[in-house]
Amino acid sequence: MAYTEFQEEEFTSEFNGRTLRRILGLTKPHWPWLIGFVVTIGFVSALDAYFTFLGKRIIDEGILASDPDTLWEIVRLYGSLILFQVLNVFGFIYLAGVLGERVQYDLRRRSFNHLQNLSLAYFDRTPIGWIMSRITSDSERIAQLVTWGLLDITWGLMNISTAVYFMLRINWRLALVVLILIPILFFVAAQFKKHILLQYRIVRRMNSKITGAFNEHIAGVRVVKALNREEKSLREFEELTGEMYRSSYRAAWLSALFLPTVVIISSFAVGGIVFYGGYQITLGTMTVGGIQAFIAYVTFMLWPIQDLARVYAELQHAIASAERLFSLIDSVPDIRDHPNAYDPGTLQGDIVFEHVDFYYEEDKHVLKDFNLHVKRGETIALVGPTGGGKSTIVNLVCRFYEPRNGKITIGGNDYTQFSLHAIQSRIGVVLQTPHLFSGSIMENIRYGQLDAPGEKVKEAAKTSGAHDFIIRLEKGYNTEVGEGGVLLSVGQKQLISLARAVLADPEIFIMDEATSSVDTITEALIQKGMEALTSQRTSFIIAHRLSTIRKADRILVIENGKILESGSHRSLLQKRGHYFRLYTEQFKRSLEDEFDPFKNPSKASGSA
Amino acid sequence: MDDLTTVITENRLVGLWRLIKGHSFLYLIASISLGISTLARTGMYLWLRQFLDKILPGGPSTSMLLLVGLGFVGLAVLQGAFTFISGALAARTAENTTRRLRNFLFDHLQRLTFTYHDKTPTGELISRSTSDVDALRRLFADQVIGAGRILLLFGVNLAVMMSIDVGLALRSIIVIPFIVLLSVFFFRRVSKAYEAYQEQEAVLSTTLQENLSAIRVVKAFARQPFEREKFERENWQKFMRGRSLMTMHSLYWPSSDILSGFQMLAGLYMAARMTIEGTITIGSYVAYAGMLVWIIWPMRNLGRLIVQMSMGLVSFDRVKEVIKQTREPMEIGFEPPGGDLEGDVVFDEVGFSYEESEQVLRGVTFHSEPGRIIALLGPTGSGKTSLVNLIPRFYEYTSGHVYLDGVELNTYSRSYLRSQIGIVEQEPFLFSRSIRDNITLGVDREVGDQEVIDAAQAAAIHADIESFPEGYETLVGERGVTLSGGQKQRIAIARALLKDPCILILDDSTSSVDMLTEADIRRALDNLMANRTTFIIAHRIQSVMNADQILVLDGGEIVQRGKHDELVMQDGLYRRIYEMQTNMEIALEKELSDGLH
Repeated sequence: MAYTEFQEEEFTSEFNGRTLRRILGLTKPHWPWLIGFVVTIGFVSALDAYFTFLGKRIIDEGILASDPDTLWEIVRLYGSLILFQVLNVFGFIYLAGVLGERVQYDLRRRSFNHLQNLSLAYFDRTPIGWIMSRITSDSERIAQLVTWGLLDITWGLMNISTAVYFMLRINWRLALVVLILIPILFFVAAQFKKHILLQYRIVRRMNSKITGAFNEHIAGVRVVKALNREEKSLREFEELTGEMYRSSYRAAWLSALFLPTVVIISSFAVGGIVFYGGYQITLGTMTVGGIQAFIAYVTFMLWPIQDLARVYAELQHAIASAERLFSLIDSVPDIRDHPNAYDPGTLQGDIVFEHVDFYYEEDKHVLKDFNLHVKRGETIALVGPTGGGKSTIVNLVCRFYEPRNGKITIGGNDYTQFSLHAIQSRIGVVLQTPHLFSGSIMENIRYGQLDAPGEKVKEAAKTSGAHDFIIRLEKGYNTEVGEGGVLLSVGQKQLISLARAVLADPEIFIMDEATSSVDTITEALIQKGMEALTSQRTSFIIAHRLSTIRKADRILVIENGKILESGSHRSLLQKRGHYFRLYTEQFKRSLEDEFDPFKNPSKASGSA
Repeated sequence: MDDLTTVITENRLVGLWRLIKGHSFLYLIASISLGISTLARTGMYLWLRQFLDKILPGGPSTSMLLLVGLGFVGLAVLQGAFTFISGALAARTAENTTRRLRNFLFDHLQRLTFTYHDKTPTGELISRSTSDVDALRRLFADQVIGAGRILLLFGVNLAVMMSIDVGLALRSIIVIPFIVLLSVFFFRRVSKAYEAYQEQEAVLSTTLQENLSAIRVVKAFARQPFEREKFERENWQKFMRGRSLMTMHSLYWPSSDILSGFQMLAGLYMAARMTIEGTITIGSYVAYAGMLVWIIWPMRNLGRLIVQMSMGLVSFDRVKEVIKQTREPMEIGFEPPGGDLEGDVVFDEVGFSYEESEQVLRGVTFHSEPGRIIALLGPTGSGKTSLVNLIPRFYEYTSGHVYLDGVELNTYSRSYLRSQIGIVEQEPFLFSRSIRDNITLGVDREVGDQEVIDAAQAAAIHADIESFPEGYETLVGERGVTLSGGQKQRIAIARALLKDPCILILDDSTSSVDMLTEADIRRALDNLMANRTTFIIAHRIQSVMNADQILVLDGGEIVQRGKHDELVMQDGLYRRIYEMQTNMEIALEKELSDGLH
């Protein structure tokens, strides 16, 4: 399987500037918002620094100068700036917050819409879970980067530079002494964050394992009980929680140590300020207010410095996310409309495979020089072993894939010249595992024709044999089917998807018969529904039931990508070839059972 | 393992205290350390005051200044050390408590009755044992400590301020009640808005998931525009909810900024005037200005912690709800000294109903000698599954008697019974671990490779397993291979073969696979049934034909019994099913012979 390619990597090793530029480009349609929050956060941080400076002026120019008038003036300035600051705070939260949501929205919409155009081949090789986390968590992480990440960076840099500016202004010598601290703090913070993040990564991994264990043992509690495994499972689980304990305690312990370390390092600065500043006060080159302001600025710089390490880690994360999401957005659909694609108006006509080659992976041909002529209105049953190429043939008819070589014509025209929509809107498909959408039965049938009135939906349900069971449900057509149709049985789901196909009134009908067991009565209903669909329409049925096979106009025995035999049930039986063997194999057993119900079980199926 | 049922008390705080049993002393030390570190922080401002008022005016010597500087470092070390101690001890308490709680819940959930699991959705139990437990962890690790820190900062700094000037101190905290009220109000609202946002996130994920897993249907009906519109609606809704969440934040923080900012400024102005007037010293002013910050700004977060803590309590209640449930006593009961059972099963007028609902089984009576095959046939809901579920004591019969080897069934211990019974379900549940593990799950001893292979061969799954690149070590499920229904069933058969039970319960569904594998499964099943008392839940006549006794159930009662050839002669449900299933085949057979001749 291709799973290994999709293992989630935690980090990209290199810092990718191109990706970063592309991430920033996402905000382009909303650039005023981006500028807005960068400017407002800049103001916020500059004003915060200025408030500290005003605090110094209150001491030096107001208190120490014993000048109440100046004091009042400074306080008034301070007050009006608070009002301005409040506007900025509102501005940056609103602008960055909404922009973040908007970027997420854009990304999700773009990737979802793109996904709808991708070919089935893409979904074959890409696990759903992988796509899901791209669209949900990666888009969020990217949006966080262009908003809160950018905000943190702007704020941090502004904070440090304004603090440095005011310190230099108050006393440049003392400021230079304090600046020695910045690289030390930064180094310590980076070291701590590295180790803490490492532990948290383990914590996250353990956490998902623990959730997985709960999930499995609750969903599978019946098996656990039946196998008497309670003790054993607990012992295994205790290993998980034990490891979880060790790493999360370690992470918590490191985090608890981090802040005190930063405080202690910075206290050397405070001590230095008092020592050196005190000395300068005696010389008259420093003021009390100046000392107070310096102490405040040191604390002021602490926050961004200890934060920048985190922001950097997030930046790396977001770039990795972006690379993955962009790979999704950039992937090109294998099957697209040709420039001159047209709608032929109808798909009625003969379907012809001419020298068709097809493979999913190079060197592994599924079909080679495959030829087939299906007449308009014919019902074709495809039989043969799994992996023989039956599904490939119907996938090609639907143009979920296109021939690698050779061509397929419908009504005499190469079908790659038609638009995809023209083909797919005229084909009705019932899959082996019928897929329903959450919603009511009515809505699910209506998927076949979105604007169908309720009467027509019921009509279709009657034709397909679904009506009877539906009306016996408490809420009838308004019954909710649950996510994926879990509230209904397999047989009921099949009937509904048949009704959906009936309503769509396709020109070509394709059915992959379900292999799962349905009760006899439901099976008879399904049979009836299928007959309604196959009459008058060109139909392809991947058949598992003998009754279906028997009713087909033509049976194709497909093995290793070749038509081994082709013909009616009767003519094929007379041929005594592959079909004869397949058919009798299945039959012998039931006949044996019928005529010898008491036979020894251990010999029951030796002949098959 | 510690018994956590003691946390079920009327008083939630007592319950929480019991939850951290064994660590409560550590937690107490954590709180005291928090207090000491707060004192040390405030001590720095007092030290600054001392320096400005007493030392600086006297023209201090260099050594004096050095001493003062070292004083700051010393206080910082004190503060840092105790902050660390309180953080580490709180984390230790929280993580240990969480580990114990997780283990307890995990074990507890596995030992709760079927009845409980039937009526409780899996998702509900998972969220209680993961996110609710995590909420409790955060309660102990962050929230209680965080709120304690805010209150200590407030208390200690206020006390020191009052020692400077009582009036000034009191006038400095006028807005505090308003800030707290505002923040509680806001965070309560915002947590609701956040919930709505998260809900929409879930809706969006479901929409996406459905679209992706139904991509063939979407393409087959060319419904891309419809799907785009559907996704667009939910996506836009999420954007709107996110926007209103952000709007709330963008209104709250500035409003609390106004309150706090002006309170700060007013305090500074008042204190500055008092300094000019000589009521307080310049050192006191500087210390006051420093402490004021620690009184006002942290308060803005108190509301968040209060709301989170109240949510933590709700989580506690939800966890307690699970803990309260009584377990199935696994070990209590009779275990025959001889070891294995014979497999003689007698049902005598057995009745059964799920809690307070209508009778599912009525007067069920039959006898099976060891090694016989009993087939159960009947429409969905006729009680087939309920009947076999009584045998391993998954449920308790409500009337009548069941005798196993002559001993009343409900006197056996459950764990003994289940070690003697093998079950193969229609859609077996496999664990997402290696195929080998899945096969050996049912046995307690070490199993050699050859034994596993033998079982797999008898179950006709060996060749399939060998075809996977990693063979028996291949992982099953999301991270490994996806197995077909038939393969899963044969692995379950291998599991049952290895377990070698005396009684076998089989949910037969051989019709679920294509022709070739059906034969394989049939052969595997025959291997499995040999020499065991077997109960088959049958869906088709073919699979009951060779049974020693066929019980036809309808509405919880046995309506017909006997062997195949007896039952086809009788007018009744059996013959109706038989005719329906065979009519078609007889016709086909006729055609086959037509075709041949």
